[in-house]
Amino acid sequence: MTFSWKRVNAIFQKDFKDFSRNMAVSIVIFLPLIMAAVYSRMGVDSIQGHFMTINMTFAMVGTYVQCCLIAEEKEKNTLRGLTLSPASTLEIFGGKSLLSFVLTIIIIFFSAFLSEYRPANITIVAVAIILSSLFYIGIGTLLGLVAKSVMESSVIVLPVIGIFSIGSFVTEWSEKYPMLKVVEYMPNVQLIDLAEKVEAGAGFAEVFSNIGIISVWVVVVCLLTVYVFKKRMTD
Amino acid sequence: MSLKFIHAEKHMNDSIVFPAFNLSVEPNEVVAVCTSVNVREQLIDLFLGKSNLSNGELLISSNKKQLGIFFLHEGAYERLTLRESFKFYHQLYQSSESIEDILQLVQLESKKNVKTKVLTYSEKKRAQLACLLIQNPDIYIMEEPDQNLDVESKRIFLSVLHKLRMDGKTVFILTSQLESGITFADKTYRLDDQGLHFIQTELEEQKVVETEVEKEEKVIQPIRFEKIPTKVNEKIVLFDPPEIDYIESTEGQSFLHIKGESFPCAFTLNELEERLLPFGFFRCHRSYIVNLQKVREVITWTRNSYSLVLKDTEKSSIPLSKTKMADLKGMLGLK
Repeated sequence: MTFSWKRVNAIFQKDFKDFSRNMAVSIVIFLPLIMAAVYSRMGVDSIQGHFMTINMTFAMVGTYVQCCLIAEEKEKNTLRGLTLSPASTLEIFGGKSLLSFVLTIIIIFFSAFLSEYRPANITIVAVAIILSSLFYIGIGTLLGLVAKSVMESSVIVLPVIGIFSIGSFVTEWSEKYPMLKVVEYMPNVQLIDLAEKVEAGAGFAEVFSNIGIISVWVVVVCLLTVYVFKKRMTD
Repeated sequence: MSLKFIHAEKHMNDSIVFPAFNLSVEPNEVVAVCTSVNVREQLIDLFLGKSNLSNGELLISSNKKQLGIFFLHEGAYERLTLRESFKFYHQLYQSSESIEDILQLVQLESKKNVKTKVLTYSEKKRAQLACLLIQNPDIYIMEEPDQNLDVESKRIFLSVLHKLRMDGKTVFILTSQLESGITFADKTYRLDDQGLHFIQTELEEQKVVETEVEKEEKVIQPIRFEKIPTKVNEKIVLFDPPEIDYIESTEGQSFLHIKGESFPCAFTLNELEERLLPFGFFRCHRSYIVNLQKVREVITWTRNSYSLVLKDTEKSSIPLSKTKMADLKGMLGLK
């Protein structure tokens, strides 16, 4: 079966119309923007501060929106219709992820604009942000497949939002509790680490390890999603 | 394009869901199978490829994507307007059908800019049918297509089926209502744990009735009493003929329907018909006798298929065969 952009586009357009009329979900995209505006007015100008809003965008927009989209499709029984259609699994999830991806990138752009974050090397940061957004969308898809209803999905993304947006502060205690060293391998902490290195004038070679670790996370989440999808569909 | 069951049988947990049967559904044909819910679900799973037959095979001579299933419970994108969701399905299936024509066919043109969630149940079902028409598969599998539909939607449904027949599509209807099977399909079967039985209608029925009548002329009933006995558990309950709404025969057993409840009766339909004729009862179909006092409406679906709607609480509808329509018109004084 050939990969058809027409079908992906059809799903994307349908989701966009559906999303823009679903206030319960679409309202969350304004949250990171408000946070970013408030932070910059408060005079917070550290990398930690900027990336708190960016990580929040990932969790709120990438994960939460994606999770709700998938869970709603499942709850309303329309996912069955999609899987029976000529669209392949890749096209269905491609189309659905495209909306969360575009939204995430737009919101990050505007929140960076509002919080006046100007990275020293925009290419590296952009690559890292795109990779991270894939990771968060993957998590969203995974949770959406696990959740049985939209209601449940909005509850199970709460820990994700907590861990990835506020969790980056945990590194402060890692000297006191060596166990927390593990946290440094989390994708959100890696992203902040990368951004700090970039501010210090690092090139691609120096941040390769950070990008590598984030990519590993992306691959792991994708594999897990495929596994869960296959398991759910055979039930 | 055709659909074939060859010695298909299914066992589950040591019991037979349905024994081996052969059935083939050809293009230009609408076939209905009346089954219980268990059998219906098994068959749907079979079409979806979720389960396999215990024995025999199901041949679908068309590729799998050309199978369109009209589910009883199907979701819809409720925040989209009808036109938007149709456009989505149109792109998804890369269909060449015209959305406007299909809207007209299911008579939802006036609702095309209305969000799906404000439609009534019947309109949603029609929208679901439209999505299937956009998909334009070769084989249509329909699960309880007329359940809970209003009369208008049933009429539209019948005209759509007529169009599908003209277009050379194969239609396979799964229903639990004998009446809807007879109304919609060219051939109706009953499938249960005893196997597949053909339900005779129209032409064949006349011959059978004639031979039965000849036999019965020799039997003389010694006594006549007016009440109709039925069996409930071990008791025998007697009903006055005017209480009866209608009588249905299922697999040789006749059932009296009274205020929405059904009671098995020991007599055959022919015996009952003879007894009840003086009370204004009418044999409207091979398997049905109706109390004409209770008939409210006569619905003409197509030139060849009719239904009687009763004025009981459930507004039950009963098939009326073509040959009996003429008799009924005579009784009503219409010519």
